[in-house]
Amino acid sequence: MLVTLESTALARWVGESFYAYPGLLACHIIGLAIVVGIFSMRDLKLLGFFPDLDIRVFSSLNRLALAGFTINAISGLLLFSSQASYLATSVPFLTKIACITAGMSLAYQLRPAVLLAATVSGGQQLASPGLTMKAGLSLAIWIGAIIAGRLIAYIF
Amino acid sequence: MWGYLAQFAADSSLNLWIAETYWLWPVLEIIHFIGLTLLLGGLLIIDLRMAGHIRVVKPAVTHQLLPFVIFGFALNLVTGVLFFFGDPGRYSINIGFQVKMVLVLIAGLNALLYHWKVSPLMEGLTEDSSSPLLARCTAYTSLAMWTGVLLTGRLIPYVGTG
Repeated sequence: MLVTLESTALARWVGESFYAYPGLLACHIIGLAIVVGIFSMRDLKLLGFFPDLDIRVFSSLNRLALAGFTINAISGLLLFSSQASYLATSVPFLTKIACITAGMSLAYQLRPAVLLAATVSGGQQLASPGLTMKAGLSLAIWIGAIIAGRLIAYIF
Repeated sequence: MWGYLAQFAADSSLNLWIAETYWLWPVLEIIHFIGLTLLLGGLLIIDLRMAGHIRVVKPAVTHQLLPFVIFGFALNLVTGVLFFFGDPGRYSINIGFQVKMVLVLIAGLNALLYHWKVSPLMEGLTEDSSSPLLARCTAYTSLAMWTGVLLTGRLIPYVGTG
């Protein structure tokens, strides 16, 4: 199945075109900065940094974060398609996918509606230690995703 | 200028150490990526508010994110200098690297403009204030420059000599 994916015209274009692979990598790093940038600031806020920053900021940024994730899901899938059978057995790649799945699941549990419902004192502080713990976990997981992603190029 | 710097870096003992320490390069890359995440993540919130978006917080309050932005920049400055010292011949003549450095310089000058001219304008603004034109220009310039830095940086391995 993965070999079939690799032999599609789209995957061959990604692998062979002079522009496709670097162009997709460029998209992928913009998406990374948006997604992990916003989520890491949210996590730091939930961990007690930026005491005066209203949690509603992250409601406003939710669509941007999802847009960043969409950019990276699409660019990532296209990048994957050109080396599918190799990546399917790459430990760093599989670790990265596991981290992203966990990170997005935590992002759902830390979605703005949940945070707002748990907020006290004018939108600036969280009442729930459980959410703080999830934020710490989320931060660690996204750092893990970056580490694993970079190591794809080094560990075979 | 890049030629002179490359020669200086190539003759340094730092160059030898980086080139010989096989695990160092991926570690530096990982730190560089974490640094860019902190830098861009913090700036995204600061600049979007400065540009007049996310009007639920005073622009001045977003400045609480600045220590993380500066920490991210510091991580990337240190790892970036080590990349250059580790492989000076490659970077000094690379058009992606050269354009990236110009964009970082413009972003730096833009930050100084913000610090001296724009920041005082932002002090009195409330949660739902719109932004003065100068502030909006500074904010979009910042976002554009750092996006350009990400793109040109990522393309360094794929573009040719300058």
